[in-house]
Amino acid sequence: MATPSAEPAAASSAPIVSLREVIKDYPLGKLTVRAVRGVDLDIEAGEFTVIAGPSGSGKTTLLNMIGCIDTATSGTVLVGGQDTAQLSDRKLTQLRLDTLGFIFQSFNLVNVLDAFQNVQFPLLLQGRYSAAERKDMVEGLLQRVGLGDQIHKRPNELSGGQRQRVAIARALVTTPRIVLADEPTANLDSKTGNDIVDLMRELNRDEGTTFIFSTHDQNVIDRADRIVRIVDGLIADDTAQQRVQDPGA
Amino acid sequence: MNSLATLRVLVEMAIRDLGAHWVKSLIVGSLLAFGTFLVVTGGALLDSISTSMEESITSSLAGHLQVYSADAEDSLELFGGTVMGTADLGEIDEWGPVRDTILGIEHVEHAVPMGITQAVVFGRSEIDRVLEALAAAVDEGDVARQQALLGHVRTISATLREEIESRSITSSDPEQAAEDLAAVEEVMSADFDARLAEDPGEALIFLDTRIAPLAQDGQLYYLRCIGTDLDEFSEVFDRFRIVDGQMIPEGRRGLLLSKRFYEIWGKMTVARNLDAFKNRLEEGRRIAGDATFENLVKANAAQYQRVLFQLEPGEVGPLMTTLKGVMGTAAPDSEAPEEILEAFLLVDDDTFAARYDAFYEHIAPLITIYELPVGGVVTLRGFTKSGYMRALNVRIWGTYEFTGLEKSDLAGASNLVDLVTFRDLYGKMSAAQQAELEDIRVEAGIADVSRDDAEAALFGEGGLFGSQERTIEEPEEEELVDEEELDEEEELDEAVTASLIDDRVYSKAEMVEGMVLNAAVVLDDPVHMPVVQAEIESLAESEGLGLQVVDWQTAAGIVGQLTYVLRGVLLVAIFVIFLVTLVIINNTMVMATMDRTTEIGTMRAIGAQRRFVIVLFLLETVILGLVSGAVGGVLAIAFVGWLGHVGVPAVQDILVLLFAGPRLYPTLSLGNLLTGVVVVTAISLLSTLYPSVLAARVPPVVAMRGKE
Repeated sequence: MATPSAEPAAASSAPIVSLREVIKDYPLGKLTVRAVRGVDLDIEAGEFTVIAGPSGSGKTTLLNMIGCIDTATSGTVLVGGQDTAQLSDRKLTQLRLDTLGFIFQSFNLVNVLDAFQNVQFPLLLQGRYSAAERKDMVEGLLQRVGLGDQIHKRPNELSGGQRQRVAIARALVTTPRIVLADEPTANLDSKTGNDIVDLMRELNRDEGTTFIFSTHDQNVIDRADRIVRIVDGLIADDTAQQRVQDPGA
Repeated sequence: MNSLATLRVLVEMAIRDLGAHWVKSLIVGSLLAFGTFLVVTGGALLDSISTSMEESITSSLAGHLQVYSADAEDSLELFGGTVMGTADLGEIDEWGPVRDTILGIEHVEHAVPMGITQAVVFGRSEIDRVLEALAAAVDEGDVARQQALLGHVRTISATLREEIESRSITSSDPEQAAEDLAAVEEVMSADFDARLAEDPGEALIFLDTRIAPLAQDGQLYYLRCIGTDLDEFSEVFDRFRIVDGQMIPEGRRGLLLSKRFYEIWGKMTVARNLDAFKNRLEEGRRIAGDATFENLVKANAAQYQRVLFQLEPGEVGPLMTTLKGVMGTAAPDSEAPEEILEAFLLVDDDTFAARYDAFYEHIAPLITIYELPVGGVVTLRGFTKSGYMRALNVRIWGTYEFTGLEKSDLAGASNLVDLVTFRDLYGKMSAAQQAELEDIRVEAGIADVSRDDAEAALFGEGGLFGSQERTIEEPEEEELVDEEELDEEEELDEAVTASLIDDRVYSKAEMVEGMVLNAAVVLDDPVHMPVVQAEIESLAESEGLGLQVVDWQTAAGIVGQLTYVLRGVLLVAIFVIFLVTLVIINNTMVMATMDRTTEIGTMRAIGAQRRFVIVLFLLETVILGLVSGAVGGVLAIAFVGWLGHVGVPAVQDILVLLFAGPRLYPTLSLGNLLTGVVVVTAISLLSTLYPSVLAARVPPVVAMRGKE
């Protein structure tokens, strides 16, 4: 298989993520709750976008649908030009593996694997690289996130910030076109949270990776290129903003 | 694809997951280890039992194949079975041609003719024994001994008087009771001394006809007799060996009692009970606190009369002194022999050993321990196929047992007789045989006894009914042979019955040719069993021999089926254990799946296919299964090895036969181990199938949950 992002024509001409009239209903007992109530959204490659909004506004649901781990009740979700509703579970899984990277609020590392193995995990699933190649890639990334001396520590031996760095490395190791981060700083103190956001900005700038966050952390929101505010399952506001500061620059 | 690296990480994850959930792993692992242990150990034990049972059955009575008549109404059950009495096995009218046919088949080494029948023996009652001795003393004119024996008769009469008195209260025939009482009083009166002195014959008749019938009858023995060519039998079945006495000499008729039968049924009750107590104590049981055991001891002590009756009056005093000496301070103050003997027999855990030895040292020599003594002659009564009762006197040449099966009632259930005796007892003969036998009778003097004569044979020379009628003369030279061969202490029996024994030396042909019921066929190698079985069947068909052939397992009857039963029980036990294991593993894995949904969801979210999750879960249990299986297997190897060293005791009679001895020394085969590994792996996989599918269904979106 070719590299997953080898569609330059599509990438330049069309948005990397495109949502049209997306509705998401959840059953809640006998009721049906509409979490997302008809959203149209395009995100261009290389954007550093924040989806902001209060708890229960539907921002995580939106992120899940973009991340192909949840499906829309109606409407279309195109990721990397592919209509996710048309894909089998197997194809969707492959899409997540090759095109998407995930950073979770609770880090979600595999506890029984050490930092190196956690980062290596998606590469093993891809099965494209030799052991030597994997070693270079994983160690390079762990260096890059500042954990060069912690590569054989298990998650429970690492601090919250270190764990999230491992998670970032894991999300980036396959060089995905999109990285989704669900409140990545929520479980971190503000200093560590800032460092993590700085790191992601840096990677966005250097690699051109598209970052999509869901957050209500003002520190994160302040550093985004674009802020999509969700209120009650609808986009209330979509603004591009000047970066306040870029400490990595 | 780099699937090897993926597998490596899967295995690594699986192992680490097992370690991370070590309590769960320990529980499931223990169950799997136990299951494996059970499969391997049980399999090894059963295989060993099958082998040893085959050995013990084929090398005792059955051979590898058994042939018998196709006309049999019942199926052959060599070790006794479901058919009470004598099973109808049909007959093989002429053994010769059948034998020649069978021996002509390749791989057949021996064919041993047999016939199974039942006979009854009446043991003598105590008063019979005393009266016989009294008659002999009268013959010899030994007055002192006559006095002593008359004293003995009076001791018995005293007891009889008590019995009659207590019985007369409920008796439906008070006149008869009064008459009986008068007879007993007569014997006990001093006048009877004079009566015996004046007309001993008349006095003896009185005792024989009026007193003896009042005493309880002697024991009735049912003998399962297998008639066979004993020379062939002892050669073919190498476990066969003579214990007491001697092998029946070639060409002679006679009976070999099973040692087991002899010890258990042929032995006097009190002695037999003491033997049984000894066995129980040796098994580690104790009398104190064991109500059943205590009652058995009490019941045995209550039988002191059986000893006392047999003692001659002059023997009682010294014996009681000796017994009191053995008992020491525990001896009763009373001088009454009844009380001393009862107290002596009332053993406890501490006194048993000394009293057991004292019984055999001091009491046994004074009494008859074995009712059917080796070297003696008994009257076997057979209910013949022709419908009449046949009685014939047979010498007990000795006792036999099968090495290793000494303690098996099943293996020891059959007594052996020569084929001529068997045919007499069985009583159904071809016309040719009958004519032939008539000739033999005329030539050699009658050997068997008619129904009327049997009474005489039973009650001896002193018996009234047979002696006058008996007209058969015994050739003199045969009597000489008798005297040489009979034990001295059995002179009494000889005197009574020697003239009634057929002591002719038969030729091999006379012994063996003729009617038999079945035959054991022994092969050079048991692997040829099916082939030879088919061969005999087809030859029997083509030559019209009218035979059916069964393998040893079928011929052994219910015993032969036991391994199937045991295997069934083991299978059920294993099935239940593994069913439980299956449910427990299934449940714990389902729980584990619940616990690990975030982890699973995360893996799915970052790109792991469902297949990956399934393999991960299966791998966890399979690794656990293999490790536990190895542990269980090693334990089983150690356990079976240990058993193979110390042996499994055959605590039950039937086990002696199954184990081919008092202990089974099991061995373990590679097959047993492989079965264990296969079963445990299958169970692991099966039990994880559902949980792993469940895990694979965890949606990736759960990775996002557990927040907010």
